[in-house]
Amino acid sequence: MMRYTSFTSYDFILLAQGLGVSLALFLATTLIGLFVGTMWAIIRFYRVPVLTQFITFFAELLKNSPVLVQLFLVFFGLPALAKINITPVEAAVITLSGNTAAFIYVIAVSAIESIGRDQIESARVFGLSRWQVLRHVIAPQAVAFAIGPLTGLLVNQLQVTSLISVIGVVDLTKIGNILNLRTLKPFIVWTVVGGLYYVTAKLIAYGGARLEQRLRAHTAWKGL
Amino acid sequence: MISVRGVRKSFGSATVLDGIDLEVHRGEVVSILGSSGSGKSTLVRCINGLEKLDGGRITVDDFDVSHPKQLAEARKRSATVFQLFNLYPHMTAVQNVTLAPIQVLKQSRTQAESAARALLDSVGLGARADAYPAQLSGGQRQRVGICRALAMKPSYLLLDEITSALDPEMTAEVLSILARLAKTGTTMVFVTHEIEFARTISSRIVFLDKGQLVVDLPTGQFFAPDGGMSKPRIAQFLSKMRKD
Ligand SMILES: Nc1ncnc2c1ncn2[C@@H]1O[C@H](COP(=O)(O)OP(=O)(O)OP(=O)(O)O)[C@@H](O)[C@H]1O
Ligand SMILES: [Mg+2]
Repeated sequence: MMRYTSFTSYDFILLAQGLGVSLALFLATTLIGLFVGTMWAIIRFYRVPVLTQFITFFAELLKNSPVLVQLFLVFFGLPALAKINITPVEAAVITLSGNTAAFIYVIAVSAIESIGRDQIESARVFGLSRWQVLRHVIAPQAVAFAIGPLTGLLVNQLQVTSLISVIGVVDLTKIGNILNLRTLKPFIVWTVVGGLYYVTAKLIAYGGARLEQRLRAHTAWKGL
Repeated sequence: MISVRGVRKSFGSATVLDGIDLEVHRGEVVSILGSSGSGKSTLVRCINGLEKLDGGRITVDDFDVSHPKQLAEARKRSATVFQLFNLYPHMTAVQNVTLAPIQVLKQSRTQAESAARALLDSVGLGARADAYPAQLSGGQRQRVGICRALAMKPSYLLLDEITSALDPEMTAEVLSILARLAKTGTTMVFVTHEIEFARTISSRIVFLDKGQLVVDLPTGQFFAPDGGMSKPRIAQFLSKMRKD
């Protein structure tokens, strides 16, 4: 049988599907990571004993070990340990969410700590609760502070999603692999795949910059 | 009444407040004088609950600031104006003033806002009410700080060197507001280096030295040769301040 090595229009659909899977995973894990990482930072803000230390330690583990190793641990290790079934997509969501959460935790903590003690003290003296201080004094400024580092992180996390192709999730990179094996035109295939990641990353960066502008435009305190 | 009884406070091995007794009754203006490092700010921070006491007791209208539940009540009764303003930079002047009335006193936004605008207007900031702190001069910022405190309708106003970050012209702006408040019977605890001004508005003057309250005298007696001035430490302090 002859190998069908030329590109077809169907390959565009494949690429689009792969990109869709990558994007969906990216968005889902970003949202989960944002939620979890922010919760961790709030727990730390309240200085909840034990939990705070545990979170800091856990975040350190996540930040300082390769995502690929974490992925293998979740995909192969967890089922072996707990006798459960984990699909590749589940493993990908768990691992990437955890990884994103760890980095968002770091960004959120430094954003909270960037707010001057004196403002927080004056809000407390006026009788605002810790929660009201967090909500009205810290959060609005911390978000504006965090949006830059956050955009950088997300651009990076998009690239990290490509690792999940090794456990069989059919994302953009996996599609690249499939096309590559069939067409034997690695240069073209990987240029196109890389280009798609590039454009997506640029869109994320652009969105982040726009959001940052908007957040700061209606306040005149950017000079501070 | 603000009642300070045998209050002690240390930072590490340094004793900063060493058994302070002080009472401030409604309607009084009590100025706290003392050289740098004598513990004036620390005393104010103990009264508004920003520092934990190592000994003694402070009550504001009988609410003990060392009890978390009572501290909330105590904090509703006193309001602080800070040396470095401590405004919220992401909020306009009006928003700075209305935050606590809305969140703590549960005033409606419209009610709080009209009260805030009236207050800002009364200190000459009516036209700057929607400006952010970064767009205001130091003197204007401190006037917002005063409005923020007054908006809580406090029984006691705590003022910690509120003009020391301002140039003379701005200082005059801010002091004239305080003089007006003193005339209308606002109770104030006034930490300051503005001796002459303290003399004109205070009913009593308290002198702190190395964490101890050296004298607590009615203003006239404090400046009398046989009163506060008879203490070498105070005479020395006053002559130095006047030279500066
Ligand atoms: N958080 C802190 N940690 C350690 N030491 C402190 C702290 N706050 C104040 N001190 C020390 O306590 C002493 C009294 O400080 P405080 O600010 O009360 O003085 P002050 O009378 O207000 O002086 P100034 O006129 O300069 O404002 C100083 O020696 C200061 O270094
Ligand atoms: Mg001081």
